Amino acid sequence: MASRLIRQSQGATKIVKQILSTDKAEARRRVLNLYKAWYRQIPYVVLNYEIPGVTVKDGRVKLREMFMKNKHVTDLRAIDFLVIRGQMELVETVNIWKQKNHIMTWFKDTWNPKPADFLSKFYEGN
Amino acid sequence: MAALRRLIGFVPGMVQCARQGAGLHRAAIAVPLMNGLLSRNLTTSAENKPTVRPVNPLVQKTLRDFGNYIGECLPKFVQKVQVTTGDELEVLIHPDGVLPVLTFLRDHTNAQFTNFIDVCGVDMPTRECRFEVVYNLLSLRYNSRIRVKTYTDELTPIDSCSDIYKGAIWFEREIWDMYGVFFSNHPDLRRILTDYGFEGHPFRKDFPLTGYIEMRYDDEVKRVVAEPVEFTQEFRKFEYSTPWEMFPAYNQKAQEAAEAAPEEKGEGEKK
Repeated sequence: MASRLIRQSQGATKIVKQILSTDKAEARRRVLNLYKAWYRQIPYVVLNYEIPGVTVKDGRVKLREMFMKNKHVTDLRAIDFLVIRGQMELVETVNIWKQKNHIMTWFKDTWNPKPADFLSKFYEGN
Repeated sequence: MAALRRLIGFVPGMVQCARQGAGLHRAAIAVPLMNGLLSRNLTTSAENKPTVRPVNPLVQKTLRDFGNYIGECLPKFVQKVQVTTGDELEVLIHPDGVLPVLTFLRDHTNAQFTNFIDVCGVDMPTRECRFEVVYNLLSLRYNSRIRVKTYTDELTPIDSCSDIYKGAIWFEREIWDMYGVFFSNHPDLRRILTDYGFEGHPFRKDFPLTGYIEMRYDDEVKRVVAEPVEFTQEFRKFEYSTPWEMFPAYNQKAQEAAEAAPEEKGEGEKK
């Protein structure tokens, strides 16, 4: 193992150490695989966690929204990190290590909209 | 090599010598303290001396020799060897060399650092590679400890040393959780301290101190909810350190003044 490492580190052209993906196509494939895995898991998540008021369709809309939130990321290593984090979240969800409130945190169903007009701001105390 | 081994093997003896020396030292101080009851002037020299652990130059030299030996054995990975706070050997290595260096330290006859104490992270945001990863090892055979330091940034993975030391698995999970340093080839890398759904790495220096999310139990939905929180007042930092001097024995200025002006001291003794 040590000799292999030494040989690796001898390469003069090496600039950064890759995490998983070596090129853009591979990173894209990993992202799509993660998306599909989540997509297929959502019915079981909704069933197992007995989430009230959230349908499978809602879950998939939320999934898409969360993936699109990181649309701007182009760095391969940053993409890999996001994929790794997403994979860890998926494992936590599938094994039911998470609880209902952790799932519901994504849906933000108890968030109150911020007051817009003067009078409601006044009532809020701001 | 044999000479070095003898040197390292000598360390426990050295420590004993040091202890005896300290004991003798204390006894020597005790006498003027006793006399001080009779004449107060004699006690001043003992009081001014800061209570710092004495450094044993022999132990220091042994450690430095051993550090240089490591540096000669692994010139590719070892960047610097230093002895800190008197008798703590630190080896600073390149991040690629974690596995070779740790394997060397565990398996080499003159090292035998078979006990893995811990691995921890340090965050220094001003550096180019902001995270430091520190391995602490113990050699029971030679009764000595060593600290191996390496560095990384947010996106560069470090090789997991869980193949060499099984005990590293949880510690590396902890570093991943607290700092976000990724360990490649780790068998089970996931969160260990934070709650599921927690975002961010709390031990990073740029982690917000106040937070933007508030967790509470909501009686309407019968579960814990996380909501954004907004303070009407800016978060305040309080200065907790006392304005009075607590440890005058450590006062650097007073010491320097005492060293600079020995005549005054002599006059004081005359009085």
